[in-house]
Amino acid sequence: MAWNEPGGNRNDNDPWGTGGGRRGNDQGPPDLDEALKKGLDKLNKMLGGKGGKSGGSGGSSGGSAGSFGAVLAIAAILVVGYVIFQSFYTVNEQERAVVLRFGEYNRTESPGLRFKVPLIDDVTKVRVTSVRTAESSGQMLTQDENLVTVDLQVQYRVSDAQAYVLNVRDSNQALAFATDSALRHEVGSSSLDDVLTEGRAELAVRVEQRLQSFLVEYGTGLEIVRVNVESTQPPPAVQDAFREVQRAREDEQQVKEEAETYRNKVVPEARGQAQRMIEEASAYKQEVIERARGETSRFLQLLAVYQNAPTVTRERMYLQTLETVLSSSTKILVDTESSGNMMYLPLDRLTQGSVSRSSGQSSGGGNDQTDVQALTDRVIQELRSRQDTNVRRSR
Amino acid sequence: MGPKGVVGLAGALIVVLLVLSSVYIIPETHRGVMLRFGELVETDIQAGIHFKVPVIDQVREFDIRVLTMDLPSRQYLTVEKKPLDVDSYIAWKILNVDQFYRATGGDEFRAQSLLLSRVDNGLRDEFGIRTMHEVVSGQRDELMHTLRDRVNETSVKEFGIEVLDVRVKAIEFPGQVSENVYRRMATEREKLAQEFRSRGKELAEGIRADADRQRTVILAEAFAESEETRGEGDGQAAEIYANAYGSNAEFYSFYRSLEAYRNTFSSKDDIMVIDSESDFMKFLKDPQGPR
Repeated sequence: MAWNEPGGNRNDNDPWGTGGGRRGNDQGPPDLDEALKKGLDKLNKMLGGKGGKSGGSGGSSGGSAGSFGAVLAIAAILVVGYVIFQSFYTVNEQERAVVLRFGEYNRTESPGLRFKVPLIDDVTKVRVTSVRTAESSGQMLTQDENLVTVDLQVQYRVSDAQAYVLNVRDSNQALAFATDSALRHEVGSSSLDDVLTEGRAELAVRVEQRLQSFLVEYGTGLEIVRVNVESTQPPPAVQDAFREVQRAREDEQQVKEEAETYRNKVVPEARGQAQRMIEEASAYKQEVIERARGETSRFLQLLAVYQNAPTVTRERMYLQTLETVLSSSTKILVDTESSGNMMYLPLDRLTQGSVSRSSGQSSGGGNDQTDVQALTDRVIQELRSRQDTNVRRSR
Repeated sequence: MGPKGVVGLAGALIVVLLVLSSVYIIPETHRGVMLRFGELVETDIQAGIHFKVPVIDQVREFDIRVLTMDLPSRQYLTVEKKPLDVDSYIAWKILNVDQFYRATGGDEFRAQSLLLSRVDNGLRDEFGIRTMHEVVSGQRDELMHTLRDRVNETSVKEFGIEVLDVRVKAIEFPGQVSENVYRRMATEREKLAQEFRSRGKELAEGIRADADRQRTVILAEAFAESEETRGEGDGQAAEIYANAYGSNAEFYSFYRSLEAYRNTFSSKDDIMVIDSESDFMKFLKDPQGPR
């Protein structure tokens, strides 16, 4: 994890070398002890002395008192300047400064130019406005003992600089660990399908609740801004199988759609056909009734006339009918009585006519030619037989 | 400024140095112990400014903030002897600096390794009495609390350390087991895919069958209705005919026969052989008709 905060480490201001479990690089003001030592060493060199810890001894010989006084004055001015310089510091807009006086918590400073007492006040600056992120990702187990790859991002910031500095040595690491743990815990109590689909939002909420309780419990001085489940995916090894399920879902839909298309085609068509049948029947009904009415009306009107003059009407009707019938059909007139055979048999014409006018009336099988041939044969036979009888009768 | 002044100045400097080296500050984040010739003379020194005898007294200070420590991934067996790779972390803090100093010599790393072996043993035991399902989903919290309390029973007394939290970060299958899981997952998905496809077919078949049924029924109903309608037509027509023709059956027979002749013999293909003696031909030979 990357964290970029300047105030993460205490400024170990420990001029007495008490040692112990101190860690962290010195970023504070230069050690006054060191400075003093250096200054005294320099002085000694200038005085031609051997230089040493007890700077007070000084060189006995050499060096006029005047020059010594001047050097001392310069050193004093430098020291005073340095102390003044060390007494002020600035706190940036994004920072708060936690001040320990004699090691005890004293105050938290807001941005601006601030004063501190050197050596007595220890200042730790904490960046509070910037949002930090911790990420947790990887493959983890679900409740149904499947594996799932989850990427989660936690955004958080320092809400309480004092707690941040004083309660936990490395809040960022603690939060990162807690995030890992909370995420896996929550994924471990959800089913794979939930994590992959609708459950993602809920997962984020539950992880956030866990983290909140952790933050409170440890007093990290942090607050969660938001928890984001960036992605949840099946492991790469089984992604094909998952895509196959997606395809199967689509197939299911498609097959259903096709069936519905079929239904939407077949049923209305059937209704149309049904409509046609019903309409046709209705047409038939009206037709036969109308025909009946027409025909009977015609008959009844004729009947009225007939009842007035039965014989004549009957005769007329008969003759008219026969006239129509005979005029439109082929006739063979046979006179049985006449002594001289009056035979009117236009056979050749008959056959020609029937060929030219072959309509589909012949009951299949032989053609008209043979029909007519057979017919004429029969007619001739008939005539002969009758003639024979006539002959017998006349004898 | 003569030599006197120099001596004075040196004296003053020595005094200042002595004062400085007999004062020490313990920050808010730490607690201290004081040793005199290596012997603990003062413990649990709170934050603030304190005094000591220079050179003779030594002060050690310890960070009392919450510390987190990552436990490297280890393999543990569940009750059904399934191996799991477990990665966890500990949050702990020094509760009693005096105890802590005695137990560890003030060395944080030593403390960590002590804790680590205890937590490791604890995890081994806790995993060993639970099923895989329990450790993965159901009982993480319970497992962690049990473990924490167990470690604390001894660590508080022995090391002056309180474990605030032991938490499992990751529980993972070793590689071989992962392969099996992948296989199982893939199989499950295949099953699901098959189910979707079959269900689609099932639904589609149902829809089609329903459509066919509707068609059949619609047509049958239409057929029935149309037959009924035709029947009504036929019935009504018959009634009309009967009413009309019944008024003079003999004439109807004659009339209808004539119409039938007309309809029957209507083309040149119909050949009629007519006896000249027939009624129609009665005047053909004799204008007076037959006598």
